[in-house]
Amino acid sequence: MKRLSIIILSLVMTATAIQAEPLLKSVLGFLKPWRVDVHLGYGIGGTAPIGMPATIRKLNKFSLTPNLMLGLDAHRQFDERWGFMTGIHFENKGMSIDATVKNYHMEITRGGQTLDGQFTGGVTTDVTAWMFTLPLQATFNVSNKVQFKLGPYFSYLTNRSFKGYAYNGYLRVGNPTGEKVELGSKEGERGDYDFSDHLRRFQWGIDLGVDWHVTKRFGAFADLSWGLSGIHQSDFHTVEQTLFPIYGTVGVSYRIR
Amino acid sequence: MKKTIFGLLALALPIMMTSCFKDEPLNAECDIEQVIFHSTEADKVFFNLSDTLQHVLYTDTLVKVNVRYNAPIETVTPEFKLTPGATIECIDGDVKKGKATYVVTSEDGNWHRRYVVSLVPTMVTVADTMKFDFEHYELDPTYHKFYVWHNLLPDGTLGNDWANGNGGFKISMSNAQPDEYPSVPITNGYDGSAVKLTTRDTGPFGVMVNKRIAAGNFFLGSFDVQNALLDAMKATHFGIPFAQKPAKLTGYYKYKPGATYIDLKGNAVAGKTDSGDIYAVFYRNHDAAGNPVTLYGDDVKTNSNIVALASVNPMQVTSEWTYFDIEFNYSKEIDPAVLENRGYSLTIVFSSSIDGAIFQGAVGSELCVDKVRLICTREE
Repeated sequence: MKRLSIIILSLVMTATAIQAEPLLKSVLGFLKPWRVDVHLGYGIGGTAPIGMPATIRKLNKFSLTPNLMLGLDAHRQFDERWGFMTGIHFENKGMSIDATVKNYHMEITRGGQTLDGQFTGGVTTDVTAWMFTLPLQATFNVSNKVQFKLGPYFSYLTNRSFKGYAYNGYLRVGNPTGEKVELGSKEGERGDYDFSDHLRRFQWGIDLGVDWHVTKRFGAFADLSWGLSGIHQSDFHTVEQTLFPIYGTVGVSYRIR
Repeated sequence: MKKTIFGLLALALPIMMTSCFKDEPLNAECDIEQVIFHSTEADKVFFNLSDTLQHVLYTDTLVKVNVRYNAPIETVTPEFKLTPGATIECIDGDVKKGKATYVVTSEDGNWHRRYVVSLVPTMVTVADTMKFDFEHYELDPTYHKFYVWHNLLPDGTLGNDWANGNGGFKISMSNAQPDEYPSVPITNGYDGSAVKLTTRDTGPFGVMVNKRIAAGNFFLGSFDVQNALLDAMKATHFGIPFAQKPAKLTGYYKYKPGATYIDLKGNAVAGKTDSGDIYAVFYRNHDAAGNPVTLYGDDVKTNSNIVALASVNPMQVTSEWTYFDIEFNYSKEIDPAVLENRGYSLTIVFSSSIDGAIFQGAVGSELCVDKVRLICTREE
């Protein structure tokens, strides 16, 4: 992979050196029909199982986290209606959630020791996932100001954290007939966990959105990105359900060309 | 247009998150939490009326109550407090005849637990010397992971009066072998088998809950795993009802402290050497209002119901079996009527780290104990 990139890079550099001017021209020619927008957005959403299991009883609290999105997107119109958009986004898909669970299966492994069982009580989870995202979207103009877009996205996480604790409840070790261990709310009385290392680096999903070009330069947008890869590595079973990131982003755009 | 779409988005997310809660699942637990014994002649059956309410530990499957000799146990009807939704069925015997076996089934029907409830007519022990030789032990019947001990009762059967913290250690170190637990038997004791108590590292889960060590402990009473994390001091229930006046405790021990004494945060404390602990406490097991009193980790040496204490102080560091002979120092008079009605409890405690209850000590500290004798005096 690395070797291949080096070869390509040296080929490009050689080509550039030999015929810089014609290349520049053809690049500019290629770029000419592309519009470029800067997007700044804020996301709200969650990392959740599809189909809430019956063992999750209640969401007690859902706090906003700094889910900022900064993106640079290029758009090319093919005909009056259809076009294509791609770009690079730097964004956070985080959440801070507090839920009540009943008889919820948990399995924690640390240093070769395993603690598993059925937990009833409160669970707090904080997720931070800063990532670079590459969207590939087909666009469709409904008017000359409003455009819908749909397509897959691919993300690479640069900063990942999945932490929390089980508190104010009890664990039945092994199964519902096992030892009952009470958990409190303070540190040392509750069960802290940190599964950050088990978050998947590469994620992908589907992005559906709308752009509204209010003026020539300024616009607004809304996106819904639906993760189709679970956020944890596939060999990770501590969390009973596969969790998918589902986030809505709203924001403003500025057209730079 | 924009407003509609933003509005839809804003609505859709919380709906997605909350609209899909399913019906609450039925309970999966099937425990007897309490047994309440009803009888029109409760005072003739039970030594103390408070005995009619028995709290059952979640790890216990045997509810054994000592009742008066010749008690009219046919008058007794048990009432069970179960985990919500669970049902109970008597599959063998009858409490009115002294012993019955029950099966409890969870609300969801998937889980079962079997319990034995027994009322055991008890004569006041007449032996002046009680012998504890620690010869009867086995792997715990549920998990076969750690050792439990039985004491020889006057009628020749085996009792469960000796408790230890192995059940708590199991939660933090699930992969430990039976011999790696804090309380283990050794076969080369002073005389036959002996008990070896070792202060152990509780591993990554211990660090997680700030309980980095587990001292080897061994005591008359019971250990309640339920509290091992939230309120560890309340996990050790010290004492069993005892109807004689203890005068002296003797036995043999060996002790060697571990290399590095660590504090609660796991930091080494320079210059501090660990010490073991051997003591016995005799106390009134009811308060003035008739409520049962149990001593826990935080008041076993200080509770105002204590009438006598005995302790090995100081303990020697010794690799040879060393004899100890300690007297009970009485701070209050004994009431013979209360004594006869099992109104006093006794605990004898051995620990490989004197501050083990607050999770401080040296990993590797080791206390071996054997051939313990409790000498009692007759009340005139």
